[in-house]
Amino acid sequence: MSNTDLEIIVEDPTAPEDDSPSVVSTHTIEIIVSLVLLALAIALGFDNWRTGIAWDSTGPQPGYFPFYLSVILGGASLYGLITTLFARSGGADTFVTRAQLRRVALVFVPTALFCLATQFLGIYVASFVLIAGFMRMVGKIALWKSLLTAFVFTAIMFVTFDVAFDVIMPKGPIESALGR
Amino acid sequence: MSKSIRATAALAAVLASAPILSSATSPAMAWEPTKPVEIVVAAGAGGASDQMARMMQAAIQKNNLMKAPVVVSLKGGASGAEALIYMKSSDGDANKVLIAYSLIYMLPLSAKIPFNWRDLTPVSVVAMDQFVLWDNASGAKTVKEFIAAAKAASSPFKMGGTGSKREDHVLTVFMEKQTGAKFSYLPYKSGGEAATQLVGNHTEANVNNPSENLEVWRAGQVRALCVFDKERISYKTKVTETQSWNDIPTCKEEGLDVQYLMLRAMFLPGKVTPEQQAFYVDLFEKVTKTAEYKDYMEKQALKPIFLKGPEMLKFLEEDDALNKSLMTEAGFVAK
Amino acid sequence: MEAFGLLMHGFAVLMTWKIISLMVVGLVLGIFVGVLPGLGGPNGVAILLPLTFTMDPTSAIVMLSCIYWGALFGGAITSILFNIPGEAWSVATTFDGYPMAQQGKAAEALTAAFTSSFIGSLVAVLLITFLAPMISSFALKFGPPEFFAVYLLTFCSFVGLGREAKHKTVISMALGLLIAGIGMDTVSGTLRMTFGSTDLLRGINFLVAVIGLFGISEILLTMEERLALRGHAAKISLRTVLKVWMDLPKYWATLLRSSVIGCWLGITPGGAIAASFMGYNLAKRFSKDPESFGKGRIEGVFAPETAAHASGTAALLPMLALGIPGSGTAAILLGGLMVWGLNPGPLLFVEHKDFVWGLIASMYLGNVVGLVIVLTTVPIFASILRVPFAAVAPMIVVSCAIGAYAIQNAMFDIWLMLGFGVVGYVFKKIGIPLAPFTLALVLGSRAEDAFRLAMIGSGGSVGVFWSNGLVGTITTLAITLLFWPVIDKAFSGVGRMLRPMAQTP
Repeated sequence: MSNTDLEIIVEDPTAPEDDSPSVVSTHTIEIIVSLVLLALAIALGFDNWRTGIAWDSTGPQPGYFPFYLSVILGGASLYGLITTLFARSGGADTFVTRAQLRRVALVFVPTALFCLATQFLGIYVASFVLIAGFMRMVGKIALWKSLLTAFVFTAIMFVTFDVAFDVIMPKGPIESALGR
Repeated sequence: MSKSIRATAALAAVLASAPILSSATSPAMAWEPTKPVEIVVAAGAGGASDQMARMMQAAIQKNNLMKAPVVVSLKGGASGAEALIYMKSSDGDANKVLIAYSLIYMLPLSAKIPFNWRDLTPVSVVAMDQFVLWDNASGAKTVKEFIAAAKAASSPFKMGGTGSKREDHVLTVFMEKQTGAKFSYLPYKSGGEAATQLVGNHTEANVNNPSENLEVWRAGQVRALCVFDKERISYKTKVTETQSWNDIPTCKEEGLDVQYLMLRAMFLPGKVTPEQQAFYVDLFEKVTKTAEYKDYMEKQALKPIFLKGPEMLKFLEEDDALNKSLMTEAGFVAK
Repeated sequence: MEAFGLLMHGFAVLMTWKIISLMVVGLVLGIFVGVLPGLGGPNGVAILLPLTFTMDPTSAIVMLSCIYWGALFGGAITSILFNIPGEAWSVATTFDGYPMAQQGKAAEALTAAFTSSFIGSLVAVLLITFLAPMISSFALKFGPPEFFAVYLLTFCSFVGLGREAKHKTVISMALGLLIAGIGMDTVSGTLRMTFGSTDLLRGINFLVAVIGLFGISEILLTMEERLALRGHAAKISLRTVLKVWMDLPKYWATLLRSSVIGCWLGITPGGAIAASFMGYNLAKRFSKDPESFGKGRIEGVFAPETAAHASGTAALLPMLALGIPGSGTAAILLGGLMVWGLNPGPLLFVEHKDFVWGLIASMYLGNVVGLVIVLTTVPIFASILRVPFAAVAPMIVVSCAIGAYAIQNAMFDIWLMLGFGVVGYVFKKIGIPLAPFTLALVLGSRAEDAFRLAMIGSGGSVGVFWSNGLVGTITTLAITLLFWPVIDKAFSGVGRMLRPMAQTP
C-alpha cells in the first residue's frame, strides 16, 4: 500500500463568479418560508379540525394530534416571521447570487424535465436523455463520451433492475415496442 | 331478492364486455403473460397475505406453472387501501393480480375509499381463513371463565387486533353484543404485533388468524380458546405438544355464538380479456393442487376451497352482503 | 458458556467456500448500494432480496446480512467524501466527516468511520450472542406506554440538546410529525389530511422524503459551489489506519457511550437514525470543547458511526427473538425469513439452531471481512469523485428517481422526491435543521399510535406513563432532557449566567 495521497482535481469552467449580484436576500426568503408554513399550518389545522379534535372516552380523536401540531407549527412560524421582520442585521445576507441561481437552475430544470419525461417515456429513455444531454450541454463533454456514458449507465440499470431482479420500473412506448 | 339481481347484473356485465374487448386484441389463442407478473399484497410485510403471496410465488416457480417471473408487490399503505386504488387504476393490465381479503368489502364502507370490487375481474377464491379467540397462557382456561373474568374486571378487558373497523374489530363488537362483557379494542398495525402484545400481557386477548399466532401458540405463550366457525378446524396433526388445530372447540360449542370466515381471493384489474382471465383461473387452480399449497394450508390452518366463474360471483355477492350487514350493525359505516 | 459452544457450531456451519464467497459478493454489493445515494440499506436489501430466493435459508441470510453490513459501511463513504448521506443514519456522520475531508483528512475520517462501524457492530453482536436467548422476556415488557416513552425520549433529546434556534427545530419537527400523519390513521381507520387525493392515501413514504431532502437538495447545493474545490484525497494508507487505531483508546468513553446508546435504541425500536444523532449530540454535550464539533473533529465521526452501527446490528435482535423489526432493513430481512419458511419468534432459537447461530457467526465474520474489503477498496469506490460532476449529477438524479420509484412503484413519489429536494435546499440555506424533520417523519405515526393505544388501554388517563418503573424512568428522563437547557443553566450558577451570549442559537 503506498502512502501517496490521491489528489482529485476536477476542473469547473462554469463555476459561479464570486462577485455576482444577489438575487434575493435570506431575509426575504425567511419571510416567504414563514408565510408558506403558516398557510400550510392553517390548511392542515382546518382539515384536522373537520376530522375531529376532541378527546373522547378512548383518548384523542384522529385530528387531535395533527391539529395541535398545526397550531405549534403555525406558532413557531409566526414567531419566526416576527423575529425576522424586526431583526435588522439579517437584511444583508445573500440567499443566492445570480450566477448561483443560474447554476442551480441548470440542474433543477433538467431534473424536473426528467421527471416529466419519465411519466411519458419511461425511466430508461428519460435517464439516457438526461445523462447524455446534461454531460454535453452543462459539462461540455465530448458528444461521443456523453452518449456512451449515458448508454452504458442506462443499460446497467436496465439489466440490474428489469432483467436480473424483476423490479418493475415505469416504461414508455419504446420499451413496449421492444416487447418489455 | 336484490342480492341475486345484483349478482346476475355483474355477471351480465362481465359477459357483455367480453366480446368487445377480445376483438380489440390480437387473436392469440392461449394468452400468456410475457412480462413479470405482480402479486399485489394489500398488507404489510410478513402478514398473512404476504406469506400467502410468497407461497404462491414459490409454488409457481418451483413447478414451472408459468414462464414469466412472479414478483410480490407490497402495497399495504393506508391499511391496504393503497393496493385497492392501485388495482383500480390499472385497468386492462393483466400483469397484476391482487390477493384480496375482506378489506375489499369493508374499507369502502368504513373509510369511504372510492373502490368497488365489482370494478375488478374476479379470478378465483383460493382459501378461507379462520379466526380464533386467544388469551395469554396465564389467563382464563375456557371461554366461560374468560367471559366471566371480563365481566368482573374493574376496567374493560383489552382486545388486540389488526386495524380499526375491520374484521377483528367487528368480531370484538359482536362478542360484546353476545356476552354483555365490555372490551376496549386496541388496533395494531399487524397481527404479529397483536400476538406479541398478548404474550407480553399488554392485552388480555386477541382474535388473530391461526397463522398470526402460530409461533407463540407453539411456544406455549398463548391459549386458543375457541374458533369462530360452525365446525372445528379439520387438521389433526399435533401443533403444540398437546393440541392440534382440531382440538380447539368452536365458539358455539362454548356458548359464544359468533361466526366469521374470511375469504382469500385473487382478482385481476378491470377490463382484461376473457383469455387473460381464463389463464389466471387455470394458473391458480394448478397452484391449489401443488404440494406447496397443501402444505401451507395445513400449516396455517386455512380452509382449502376453490371457487371460480359464476360460483365465485355468487359467493362474493353473498359475502359482501353479509359483511355489509355486520359493518352496519357494528356501527362502522362512515356517514 | 452455552452461547460460546453454540457460536463455535455456527462458525463450523459457515466455513465452506460457497458461503465465504457469497459473503464477499454480498459485502461488495452492499457497499455499492450503500455508496449510491438514494439506494441505501433498506432499499438495496429489498432490491437484492429476490437474488436469494433460490438459495437455502442459511446461505441466503448470510448473503443478505452481508449486503446489510456492506450498506452500513458504504453509507459512510459518500457521507464523508460527498457530504451526501447514503443512509438517513449517516446524516450525523457528515457533520464532522465532511469538514475533515475538506481539510484533506478524508483518509482519517474514512478509517475512523469504518473502524467505529466495526466496533459498534461488534459490541452489538456480542450483545446478541449472550442476550439473544434471554431477550424475549425483557422486550415483552414493552407495551404502548413504553413504546411512546422511548419515542418521546428521542424527540425531547432533540429539542433539548439541539444547538439550532429552538423555533426552527420545533418547525422542523412539527412539520415532520404532520407529514407523517398524512394518510390513514391506524387507530380509528379514518383518512386525514389527504384532501381527497388518492396519491396521498398511502401517506408520504419516509425514504422518498429522505432521498429528496438529502440526495436532490444536495446536488442543488453542490452546484452553487465552485466544484474545482472538491478534490479530496481518499486513499487509505496503512500508516493512516495505524495512526487512527493508535488514537482509539483516547476515545474509549465516546465509543463506549455510543455503543450503549446504539444497542439500547436498536433493541427498543428507536432505530439507527435516532441512535446516530443521540450518539453525536451526547459526545458533543460531554466534550470539553463542544465548539469544535462540526468543524472536522474525529470524535464527531466516531460517535455517530459507532452508535448507528451498534443500533443497526442490535435491531436484528428483537427481529430474531420476537419478530419485531428494529429498523427498516431488519423489516425487510424479516420478510426474507418468512420467504424461506422460518417464522421469527422465540422458537426460532430452538428449532433452527443452525440457522440462528450461523447468522450470528456470520455477523462476526462479515464484519471482519467487511472491514478489510472496505479499507482496501475505498480508492475504487472513491474514484467516483474523479468523474466530472456533470456526469455524476445526472446519474445521482437517476439513481434517486429509481430508488424513489422502486419503494412503492409510484410515479407520484418521483414528484414528491423533487418537491422535497426543493424543500431541503431552502431549509438548509435558511438554517432549518433537517434532522428533526427526518426523525419525526419516521417515528411520527408510530409515536402517535403508541400514545393513543396507551390511552385506550388506560381509559384516557395520562398517569399510565408513570405506571411502572420502566416507563416512569424513561418518561421522566425524556422530560428532563426537554428542559435540559434550563436545568443546565440553573445548575451552572452565576459564572455561566454572565456569558449567555456564548450559546449562540
